Amino acid sequence: MEAHSLLKKQGFDVSSYGTGTHVKLPGPSLREPNVYEFGTPYKHMFDDLRRKDPDLYKRNGILPMLKRNLSVKLAPQRWQDNAADGYFDIVFTFEEKVFDMVLEDLHNRDQVLLKSVLVINLEVKDNHEEAAVGARLALDLCEQIEAVESWEDSVDDILISFENKHRRKLLYSISFY
Amino acid sequence: MVGIMNPVSREKLASLSNSVKFAIDLGPKLELCRQLKRDLLEEDAAALSEFLSHIFDLYSDPSGPVRKLATEIIGEIGVKHLEFVPEIAPFLITVLEDATPAVARQSISCSIDLFRHTLEKIAIQGLHSSELDSDLESSWSWMLKLKEKIYSIAFQPGSGGVKLVALKFVEAVILLYTPNPNGSSEPPPNEGTPIEFNISWLRGRHPFLNVGDLSIEASQRLVLLLDQLRFPTVKSLTTSMIVVLINSLSAIAKKRPAYYGRILPVLLSLDPPSFVIKGVHVYGANNALKNALLSCLQCSHPSAAPWRDRLLGALKEMEAGGLAEIALNQVHKVNGSVEDEKDHSSVIKEEKPMTKACDAAGNNVGRKRSGTEDSCDLAETSDVSGKRVRSTPSVSEESTKELNRNTSMSQGDISSAQSTTRKVDVDTGPVQQLVAMFGALVAQGEKAVGSLGILISSISADLLAEVVIANMRNLPPTHSHTDADDELLEDMCIIGSNTQAKYPSSFLVDVVSLSSTFPPIAALLNSQQSVPNEIVIQKTEVDEEVDVMAGLNSTVAYAGMAHEAENALLPGMEKIDVPTPSDIPDVSNLESGIPGLDSSFHNDGLSDAQAASSLVSTDLEDASQEQGTSFGGKSPLHVLPSISIERSEELSPKAAVNDSSGVVSSTATSVVSSHSFVLPKMSAPVVNLSDDQKDDVQKLAYIRIIEAYKQIAVAGGSQVRSSLLAYLGVELPSELDLQKLLREHILSDYINHEGHELTLRVLYRLFGEAEEESDFFSCTTAASAYETFLLAVAETLRDTFPPSDKSLSKLLGEAPCLPKSVLNLLECLCSPGISEKAEDSQSGDRVTQGLSTVWSLILLRPPIRDVCLKIALQSAVHHLEEVRMKAIRLVANKLYPLPSISQQIEDFAREMLLSAVNIDAAEITDAEGLIIESHKDSELERPSHEHQSMSSTGKDISAVSHQSETYQSGSSPSVPEAQRCMSLYFALCTKKHSLFGQIFIVYSSASKAVKQAIHRHIPILVRTMGLSSDLLEIISDPPSGSENLLMQVLQTLTEGTVPSAELIFTIKKLFDSKLKDVEILVPVLPFLPGDEVLLLFPYLVNLPLDKFQAALTRLLQGSSQSGPVLSPAEVLIAIHGIDPERDGIPLKKVTDACNACFEQRHIFTQQILAKVLNQLVEQIPLPLLFMRTVLQAIGAFPGLVGFIMEILSRLVSKQIWKYPKLWVGFLKCALLTKPQSFSVLLQLPPPQLENALNRTAALKAPLVAHASQENIRTSLPRSVLAVLGLSPESQSSSQVQTSQAHTGDTNNSEKDAVAEISKESSGAS
Repeated sequence: MEAHSLLKKQGFDVSSYGTGTHVKLPGPSLREPNVYEFGTPYKHMFDDLRRKDPDLYKRNGILPMLKRNLSVKLAPQRWQDNAADGYFDIVFTFEEKVFDMVLEDLHNRDQVLLKSVLVINLEVKDNHEEAAVGARLALDLCEQIEAVESWEDSVDDILISFENKHRRKLLYSISFY
Repeated sequence: MVGIMNPVSREKLASLSNSVKFAIDLGPKLELCRQLKRDLLEEDAAALSEFLSHIFDLYSDPSGPVRKLATEIIGEIGVKHLEFVPEIAPFLITVLEDATPAVARQSISCSIDLFRHTLEKIAIQGLHSSELDSDLESSWSWMLKLKEKIYSIAFQPGSGGVKLVALKFVEAVILLYTPNPNGSSEPPPNEGTPIEFNISWLRGRHPFLNVGDLSIEASQRLVLLLDQLRFPTVKSLTTSMIVVLINSLSAIAKKRPAYYGRILPVLLSLDPPSFVIKGVHVYGANNALKNALLSCLQCSHPSAAPWRDRLLGALKEMEAGGLAEIALNQVHKVNGSVEDEKDHSSVIKEEKPMTKACDAAGNNVGRKRSGTEDSCDLAETSDVSGKRVRSTPSVSEESTKELNRNTSMSQGDISSAQSTTRKVDVDTGPVQQLVAMFGALVAQGEKAVGSLGILISSISADLLAEVVIANMRNLPPTHSHTDADDELLEDMCIIGSNTQAKYPSSFLVDVVSLSSTFPPIAALLNSQQSVPNEIVIQKTEVDEEVDVMAGLNSTVAYAGMAHEAENALLPGMEKIDVPTPSDIPDVSNLESGIPGLDSSFHNDGLSDAQAASSLVSTDLEDASQEQGTSFGGKSPLHVLPSISIERSEELSPKAAVNDSSGVVSSTATSVVSSHSFVLPKMSAPVVNLSDDQKDDVQKLAYIRIIEAYKQIAVAGGSQVRSSLLAYLGVELPSELDLQKLLREHILSDYINHEGHELTLRVLYRLFGEAEEESDFFSCTTAASAYETFLLAVAETLRDTFPPSDKSLSKLLGEAPCLPKSVLNLLECLCSPGISEKAEDSQSGDRVTQGLSTVWSLILLRPPIRDVCLKIALQSAVHHLEEVRMKAIRLVANKLYPLPSISQQIEDFAREMLLSAVNIDAAEITDAEGLIIESHKDSELERPSHEHQSMSSTGKDISAVSHQSETYQSGSSPSVPEAQRCMSLYFALCTKKHSLFGQIFIVYSSASKAVKQAIHRHIPILVRTMGLSSDLLEIISDPPSGSENLLMQVLQTLTEGTVPSAELIFTIKKLFDSKLKDVEILVPVLPFLPGDEVLLLFPYLVNLPLDKFQAALTRLLQGSSQSGPVLSPAEVLIAIHGIDPERDGIPLKKVTDACNACFEQRHIFTQQILAKVLNQLVEQIPLPLLFMRTVLQAIGAFPGLVGFIMEILSRLVSKQIWKYPKLWVGFLKCALLTKPQSFSVLLQLPPPQLENALNRTAALKAPLVAHASQENIRTSLPRSVLAVLGLSPESQSSSQVQTSQAHTGDTNNSEKDAVAEISKESSGAS
């Protein structure tokens, strides 16, 4: 969401998705997560958690995060359920597990358009600070890819130079719509 | 309407296309294009044919996006109206050459759509009629041209975005040209149905398309694709190419399992690190490969089975640690621990008969695995049985239905079945009985099949499973495959029970009959493919053939199965170099044409069967097709059995695993370990528990464990045990409660239960979980749990243990990390009153505890050093003096010496110091406010010392708010407030003297309160510091405005000790050069030599009275060593020696100084005064204040009168009247001292006497009276008497007067003479 927020600000046409089965937010304990369906408005979650235990959720940063999300979009969406959103040029994932899930989903779809899509995984630790860093890196990468005429021809160079520049390991794949 | 174009729309379209042509800007142009596209697609064919050329024209546009869009439009028109293909295809071919990659890519995208639709149309038309119309034919030939063109792009050397799409095109064509085993093999009944095209619709009866040829082509293309990934071609590819190729190939492998054997070897031999050469992106390729292999691994098709081992091996090699595990877990899920099969090959070998039997019974087991394999084995078996139905062509519809019902039932009952299993197992008696019963039935051979079925259907599935398990113990530990023969039947009957039940007698017969139909097929095939197939057979081990032959006596199915079993096992178990899987694709390469052929052939051969099983036709057909396709390359003899045996391989470990997991219970922990041959008995009844109950049970269990720990603590080995306990506490579900229990346990007896160690273990576990970069969710939760736990323990330690206890400090020192809340706790401890109630009388000790904890944390935990330091520093400016002092002691004595943080401490202290000073930069402070403040503060201080309990809290709060008020209003802080801010700095000064200079600088601008605070501190401070070179330096050059401070410093420095020579020197120098204020010398006055002091005396006198007095005291007291610098007499004389005019000192000051002296009568005693006067009276000229002093002396000491008279008479002799000022004083004195002074007065020469009497008339009468006394009168000269008016008559009196005057003169002269003598004598003396 951090990346969504940032890229949106920079004028990219961007969407964000989850890949799990539910939206899970930390609860009072590991076994008592707050589980929401995809599509539940962030506002609802925010109100719900604030009602449950404002201190806890303020302390672990969930409420502020939801507040930020509120301003970006209405509700979390699930990648696998939103194939109808059309095709993207680039898909960013921030965890290898998600990367694999996105690829699997893309491979399982009927590839009719034959429109290539670049899927990049940028490993970002799931906390607020790292997310900010990751979002900036994603933006940087988007801008570089945007700058070339056809990324299909130069994606290796772009990514390798990015890796060298930021000392980050990237993982990418190509799939088709 | 058809064929007639609406003129309006035509016009509109024309104008649109024109405007597109002439539009200049790209944006509007594209918009127009899109508009055009929308409109065009609504038009019918005729209209479009007219218009197509216009759109072709659009392609001449210079801008890429427009050309791309034009291509897209044309492509879509083509898809919609295939009759245009002959025109569109050439166009697309030209577009392929486009300079803009995006346009060329678009062309390929369009081509694939177009190709698919054309193929579909041709195929369907061919199915319905034997002739094709010529249009379609030419379309098709164009499409083929287009296809060839794209092929050439795909396989040309080099890379590029266009090539990527071209490769996808190849993939699509391959998929189109080969039958889809999962798709419907029947063409849709009516043309409109949207169903995925499947080449197997054609079945070789198409007039135009030859399925075999297509298959061959697909095969060839696949070879080309594979070649790209082979060494060394792969080195010239970019990562993206490799990724796309890998993905395409794995997609093909998944969708067309027939190609498995050809694709996988290539994928497996890919070694990503080896294509680093060009600096391409290895991770990407690596990951793609990994995913491809994983997806292949998940493929349930039987032809995938032999590859599992190698796939697993490759995946393991590829991924390190956790990832491999995940992959394996997935694999576990998918195919039921193939790994086990590998690791426990002996076990599997032993189980082989069972699975074989199962398969022999099930024979043509359904080839499709249930989608998600995570259900239990019962589900598995029922699933299998379900499949069996479908795959058995000769089963009657009735039995199929029945079976289906059974299937669904048993599937639905999975969970309950599992639980009941164990109930049954409580006593193994019935099971053993059943085993025996089965044995007996089986012994009767085939005729007992019916009764076996009845028996099996009458007992529950779980009981049946138990029977199976029980029977497994009876298996001999080793089994050769041939041995299996003998037991086959028995095992089959016992184990393949489910199936048996459902297909009583007919089943086996069917199986046999079905399989026996195959040899002819094989023969047929062999005859067709004569030579190559035979080669294959020979290649695939002669021994096996022998085996097969041996096995044939029972059933063909079994024979083939055994053969395959060995075949499949060989590569996995002992690497006998026989037909390793990698060889197989080569074989099939030789006969690339076979798959298609085979399938069609099969269809023919099995058509009856298909017809019979129309109910389940799709699956069955798939199955048969697959059999055909996938094993086409091998000996056809294997076709059927091989499927089943592969199936069996899959099943055997799976079944075993599930059995054992059933034993171990649902926790599904160590499946592997329980994989022993002798299966443990199940003894506990299994009850289905609700989640709540489970939680309760777990909780109770945990409580028991904890209770037990209390007992075994004595036994030792606590290291491991507490680890376990901690692990349990964290790991088990509903962990919040358990953690609470654990916490209670820990805290109930922290020391005896090794609470510290246990707590740390729990914390480390939680911490590990939190840090384990898994998902955000669990991280945060674990972090939260960690925090709760640590906080709770810390709080309890704080509240229950005496402050002197070190447990808290130790805990915080060793915990993996300290979250904010714990630091807050510490902060509250160190700075009571911040958020909590300042509690009891212990709070002071608590502060000490907190501070010492902070100290150890600072020493032990560098990462949080700053935070802890902040806590300590905050405490060091705490408003309660007690707290503050403790903290300051810590900071100054322990922390400040640490070089790494000293600067920080210093900065903070300075900041606080400045904050105290700067606030009151505006000097004007309303006095009232100040008073109120100081009042309040004095109030404040008291309770904090006296009765802390109740009032302090409230006061503290008020103090805080009060502070903020004062800050806001910008008025100066109160003294205590100033002290609060500055104490720390002062403390630091004692450690680093150079800091002291800052105080001097600050001092000048500080408010009264601040100054006061400073002054309060200085004595202690300076005394602690002592005189150092730093201090001397500061003293030698004090900033202006800091004189008072300097004074105090000097005073402190000189108090009680002898100041060093340097100090005195410095002060003197300062006095001489910069600071003319003599005041600074006062402290050292006692240590100066007397003569110097005398020189300074006028300055001293000039000081304000109080300061003079102080200086006076010092002078008179002197230092302990050298005694007084000046004696009191010397002081007085020095005072009298001051000449106001010469020295520029107001007379008033001098008189004040005199007064000051006289006030100290115990020092300036009578004797001293007499002595002083004696000396003074001899001075010439007489000191200005002499008479004043005399008068004072009389006032102070009346007893001195006699002495004074002497002085007066000496003054007379000194002709006092000649000093007009003194003369006045003399007369005053005379008046004061009458009647004693009369004799002196009478000594005056008559004119002076007269003058005196005239001046002080009050004297006359008493003097006359005195003189009238006879004895005196006679002694008086006449002149004096005349002055007194004591001559007898006026005449005579006048005479007397004159004579008296005369005598008086003589007298005078005499006296003068006397005076002169005395003068001489004094001069002589």
